Formats: sequence, structure tokens, C-alpha cells
Amino acid sequence: MRKVAIVGAGQSRYGEFPDKSIKELFLEAYQDMAKSVDRNFEPKRIGAAYIGNLGCGGFQLGNMSALVSEYVGLPYIHAMRIENACASGGYALATAAMDVMAGVHDVVLAGGVEKMTDVSGLKTKYWLGVSGDTEYERLAGTTFSGLYALIAQRHMHEFGTTREHLSMVAVKNHKNGAQNPKAQFQRETTLEKAMKAPMVAAPLNLFDCCSTTDGASAVLVTSAEKAKEFTDTPIYIEGFGTASDYLAIHDRAATTTLEGTRRAAEQAYKMAGIGPKDIQLAEVHDCFTIAELLAYEDLGFCEKGKAGPYIAEGHTEISGDKPVNASGGLKAKGHPIGATGTGQAYEMFHQLRGSVQKPTRQVKGVERGLLHNVGGSGGTVVVTVLAR
Amino acid sequence: MVLGISGYGVAVPRLRIKREDYAKAWGSFSAAGVNEKAVAGFDEDMLTLATKVGQRALDSVPLKPDKITRFAFASTTPPYTEKLLSGTILAGLGAPGETYTTDHTSSTRAGTEALLAGFEHLTGNPGGNALVAAADAPQASMWDAIEHGMGAGAAGFVLSGFALLAEFEGSSSVVSEHFGERFRPRDEQVTRDLNVKKFSEGSFVSNTTKAASALLKKLGRKPEDYAHVVIQQPDARAPASAAGKLGFQDPQLAAGMVSANLGDLGAASTPVGLAAALEASQVGDRILVVSYGSGAGSDALSFKVISDRKPAFTVSKETARKEYIDYVQYLKLKGAIR
Amino acid sequence: MAHVSVPMYWRTIPQRYRLVGLQCKKCGKVNFPPKGVCKYCNASSEFTEVRLSGRGKVHTFTLIGAGGAPPEFAEQEKAGGVYPVTIVELDEGPKVIGQMADVNPKDVKIGMPVRAELRRIYEEEGVVRYGFKFVPLEGGA
Repeated sequence: MRKVAIVGAGQSRYGEFPDKSIKELFLEAYQDMAKSVDRNFEPKRIGAAYIGNLGCGGFQLGNMSALVSEYVGLPYIHAMRIENACASGGYALATAAMDVMAGVHDVVLAGGVEKMTDVSGLKTKYWLGVSGDTEYERLAGTTFSGLYALIAQRHMHEFGTTREHLSMVAVKNHKNGAQNPKAQFQRETTLEKAMKAPMVAAPLNLFDCCSTTDGASAVLVTSAEKAKEFTDTPIYIEGFGTASDYLAIHDRAATTTLEGTRRAAEQAYKMAGIGPKDIQLAEVHDCFTIAELLAYEDLGFCEKGKAGPYIAEGHTEISGDKPVNASGGLKAKGHPIGATGTGQAYEMFHQLRGSVQKPTRQVKGVERGLLHNVGGSGGTVVVTVLAR
Repeated sequence: MVLGISGYGVAVPRLRIKREDYAKAWGSFSAAGVNEKAVAGFDEDMLTLATKVGQRALDSVPLKPDKITRFAFASTTPPYTEKLLSGTILAGLGAPGETYTTDHTSSTRAGTEALLAGFEHLTGNPGGNALVAAADAPQASMWDAIEHGMGAGAAGFVLSGFALLAEFEGSSSVVSEHFGERFRPRDEQVTRDLNVKKFSEGSFVSNTTKAASALLKKLGRKPEDYAHVVIQQPDARAPASAAGKLGFQDPQLAAGMVSANLGDLGAASTPVGLAAALEASQVGDRILVVSYGSGAGSDALSFKVISDRKPAFTVSKETARKEYIDYVQYLKLKGAIR
Repeated sequence: MAHVSVPMYWRTIPQRYRLVGLQCKKCGKVNFPPKGVCKYCNASSEFTEVRLSGRGKVHTFTLIGAGGAPPEFAEQEKAGGVYPVTIVELDEGPKVIGQMADVNPKDVKIGMPVRAELRRIYEEEGVVRYGFKFVPLEGGA
């Protein structure tokens, strides 16, 4: 099978944009991506588009892939919407990679778009709550904050993880996001503020939870061979892994492990021929602060149960030996559900090429990075290893 | 064959509000003799309470749900005015669908109507088991004095010919036409009362005393034969005039005076009162139960206690399980503040 | 609204009202909520229906505030305040999520014994959806 590379990446600003629909947002990302391709970018070379999207704000249930691809000037191509809740973007990238690996298409667009702030508060809560097990988890009175809170509570009980550990994630990611012009939130916060925020689903408070976001992202995927036509510094997809888990948390073997992350990471490392210690930078799925702590463990950065001390020791700061979420993560950069996964790829593309917009965020000398994208409370997970 | 009560169970919602909190809000509290009352939780209704006491009554015998041959449900405040209510309860209990069930609503006499329906069934099916569940939480407008005493509670009974706690000695019933006292037209959600006091009291006293004296006469009993008398309690003072006319003394009313701590329990008033009297009784005690439903009618039932076996879920156990709320919280729960 | 249709809700009444689980004929483990294939041995679709006792222990919990409540429970949260949601490890083995009732939120603890009780879950299209919630065990049998 062919090796695969990313030769261009773009995204819109993440935030709240009442004047932009999914079409305009996707166009912004697409044009940003086109600009980032060093040479020979031609829309008509794109043979397929895999677009991650959960809800479109509820207005376009079917065929949204056709809607946005023709809007950006890509009519008639193989267009598909990819939906795996918040992992849609990551799965769009994995699907694009599989397409190119199999030799079906040579140049493929992988991206995502989400419009979350158009709908009323009540409708938003509907959309946000139905990717868990609706019959039981939703009707027990939870949305995702509640589900991750159940995990956090158990993690604190089993391993002594503290309230402070959770807030450290928020502080770090807001500090990083403040350096990211594309981030939804560009202000730092303090540990005290993060710890004292109003409770949403105990123990998770407002600062433990990512926000709703509008945004779009897009990357251009091609074979390693063809990549040379577009750039001298393609970023290779060295490996990826995809796995699912029992949808309801109560059906899982362990409440404090995302088995989907563990298995997807194992596959990705195996395909790339590496281990967790070879990862120099990671973009992980911190929809809630506890989710980032779980990621440290389930991706193999530290032992199960030790994520609290791991962040407290500073390993995952930009200046640390295992920087995580230099972009600001979902927490500060934002989480436009369908777009998040390829937005992580956008960040890593620029980190690996040394072209991050603000030099203070640039992680020096990074050769290999990991993307971790989770659907909902872990029902689907995709892990991708990118390298220079 | 001798029929009677072979088991019972009581359930009272956990929340309570005190008379003082009403007085703080309104300047006074209108339900005589009521110190505090029970308040149904947001996720409770008369079907969940009936299922709860139905299960508790079965467990107290113990009896498996598939042995039920008759079911009767009583409430003036069921969650639907039209929907077969017993179906939900039987599904909750796991009792067979091939059971004759009746839903009794329309007045606070419904509780004893359901008991009598159970005994009626057993007369033709002496080997059977009738399950009766009465659950009620009357409602009135926040602005009305009758609202003050309205509480919430439920009691369930297994009636049969075996393993009896108390024998059923007989009953008498009376109906009359009275209107304008405690009523609720079809398109309204809350109970009203035109407050023609003497007139309504007249109906209460005349119906209850007629039913009770007819029963005493039928059975050849005198007032002093009864250790406990349970009379319908819209508040704790209403039974007094009927009791006085019939020749009963205050101590006979004491055990069954559940409204003092639970409030006006509507169709569950005499069933819960009966459970309280059974709890307080000794072998040989007789209990008289006199219900009242406005509009109007009354059932009188006589029991004789023959066992001192007590079930797990009694009135005193349920009364002791409580948490207080204040008047604002009460209004939020009752939906008055939207 | 959760958009769980009437027939869809109705089909789960044995689970919601009576906690009916499926005991695998091959490995003997109890699947609750039900699965098409036994999730423990992954080898059998043959089950015996078994009504669970409803008793168990709190495995983990959270307290849902206004920001965390889905629309179906928004009014409940407004009227009654923060409510606990738990994953209970039932005596018969399976774990299941369920809301708690009749308990002070600050008293909920991992390991607390609980039992299931029928409650109103929510209302959709005018139809009341009933189901189990968990209450503290010492409150009753």
C-alpha cells in the first residue's frame, strides 16, 4: 500500500460567527488550505472529499457533503460526510488516508465543519447530548459533561486525582490558546479562577468544559510520491489507528480507561513502527479536562492513574518534554465538532514544518507528532501519527 | 369464609413543609391541627406511589405478584384524566395482565371504594388475592385556604382469606347529592371549594354519621367497642364533629390522625389512617374506618385485629423519613413559579 | 427533546419498570441493559429473562447542575436543584446508569447501597415516561 502525506492544511478562525454558515466557514478553511500548498495546487486534481460533520445546526440532514464541496468549487467529486460524533474529523482524515493508500484517488480533501451557535440553547443541548447512549445515559439526566464527570469522579476515587490536577489542564491550554490567533478563546486564566468556576456536573465545573464552537478545517492528502509535486516538506501520515468501545460508560470494562484510545493508539504506533516515547508533541481530545488526563494514560505517555502527577510535574507544557495541546486544545482553541480532528492535523502540519503563526507556540525541533480525536465519551477514537 | 387484610405498606414522599413556613408566607395557616405535611417530589406521581405501596403490601405478606386476582387503584389526582391507570401499576409490579382492575377517582371516597371492590371480588373468589393501592396528593390554588393542608401519601393493602392481620367485619355506604363543596370541573387542574362552610360541614357530618351508624347498627356494635376510629381528614379537626355525634372520644381518633404530620391525603386519607391504626393496634382491637368524598358519599368499614404481625413499611416509619423544604422551594415544586 | 418515540420507549418497559435482564445461557452472566449478543462471552444470543432485584452499590456519581442538565430535565433541575446521577453496580453483576432520588446530593458516596424505584423520568408529547431511579437502600426495602 502507498505511503500517504499531507501537503496543505487550513482552517477558519474558531469561535462564534452569526454571519457565517457552514458554507462560508468551509470556504474559509478550504482557501486557507489552498494558500498553504507550496506549489501546483489545482482544485480539479482533487478526486474526493471526506467531510466530518455532526449536525449542521440541524438544518441539512442528508447530503451535506455535496452541499459544501460544490460551494467551494469541487462539484462532481466523490463526496462523503463522515460522522463519528466529535471524532468525525479524525475519521475523515483516516478515511482519506485509506482512500489514497488503496490507490482509489491520488489527491483527496479531508476536512470538517460545524455550526453550533446558530441554534437555541435547548436545541444545542439536544445535539450535545445524543451521541452518548441516548436511551439510558441521556434519560438518566446527563449530557457529556455528566458522562465525563462520572469518569472524573471515579478517577479521583481510584487514583487520588485532584480538583487541582483537572484545572491545571485548563490553565495550560488557555495559556497556549492565548498564543493562537485561530483560537476561540485567547485569554489566559489562573488556577484559582479555574478551580472556583461554577459547577456544571460535579466535579466538573465551567472551566473543565469546552465550549460550543463554529469552525471548519481542511487538509490536502496525497500519496507520498505525488506529494513532491506540491511541496518539499510534506508531512507523512506514518500511522493511524481506529477503534470503538461500548457506547454507554456503564457497559465498559473499566470506567477510568477509554479502551478506544488505548487500542487506536496501539494500532497507530504499530503501523508507524514506534512507541509513545517517540512522540514529541500531541494534540489530544480535551473536550473536558479529565479527558486530557485520561489521554496521557491511554496513549501511554504515563502509567494508568498517574496523569495528575504527570501534568503537575510540567511534562505537557510547551516547554516540557511531552508538550500536549500547544494549540490550546479543544478547551481554548475550540471544538467545532466535525472539524476538530482535521483542525488538530492543521496545527500539527504547521508545528512539524516550523510554520506556526506565533513563534511562542512553536515547539522546537519537533519531528513526530500525534493526533488524538475522540467521539463523544469514547464510543469511537482515532489516533494519527504525523512525521516530517 | 372470613376475609380481611393480610398485608399492607405505606409510602410518604420524603419532603415536608411546616405550618410555620406557610404562616411566614401568608401570615397564617388554615389547616386546623396540621403541624406539617408531605410534599410529592418532582419525579413522583400517584402511579409511582401506588406501585411503591403495592410492592410493599405484597412484600409484607409475602405474596408474589402473579398471585394477584384483582387490583383496585384509588386517587383523585392521577397523572391522566383519561388513560387506564392500573396498567402502569401492574406493569411496574410484574402482575399478570389478565387481571380485572378498576381505577377509582372522582372523590376522596375512592380509597374505601377500592377496598370494598377488593372485598367484593373475594366474596366470589375466596381463594384469591386483591391488591388495593390508594395514593393521593390533592391540589388547590395557592391563593385558597384549602390548599394549606393538602399533602401527599399512599397505602397499599393485600386483601384475602389467608394469613390475616385483621378481619373485615362488614361495611355500610351512603351517597347524597351535594354540590359546591370541594370540587374540580373537568377543564380545571385544581380543586375548589365555594366555602359555604356550614353547608359543606353539614354534608360531611350527615354522610359520615349516616354510614357509620348504619354499620354499627348492622353489626350490633357500640362506639366503645372500637379501639380506633379513622375518619376522613381534610384537616385534623374535621373528624371531631362527626365523631362527637357518633359518640366516639378523642383518644379513639388519635392513632389514625395522620393529617397532623402528613396533611390532607385525599383518597389516601382513610387508607393511610387505617394503616396507622393497624400499626397501633393489639390483637382484639376493633377499627372503624369512615371515609368521605364530596359531592357526596361515605363508606364505613369495620375491622377486627387478629394478629400483631407488623409489616416493614408503617406510617410511623414513613413519617420519620423526612427532609424539610421552605415555602419558596414548595412553590417551585408545585410549579406555581414558572 | 430526546426524541425517543412512544414505541421505542414502550419496548423497554420490562427494563425500565422492572429491571428485566438477560442471563446468557452459555456463560451465565447477566446482560443489563440487554444486548443482542452476550457481551461477556461474545458467543451466544440465547438468554433467559431474569428480573433483577434493583439493589446495588454506587460505582461512581456526578451532581448535575443547570449547565449540565439536558432539556428533558431542565425543569426538574430548576424546581428541585442539583440532582445526582450514578452508575450503580447491581448485585447481579452488571452496571447501569441511573438518576438518584430522595437523597441529599452531598450525601452521595461511592459504595453507597441503593435500590431501584419507579419514578417519572420525563414527559414527551404529553406522554409521561416512567422508569427506574435509585434511592438510598436504608430508605426502604
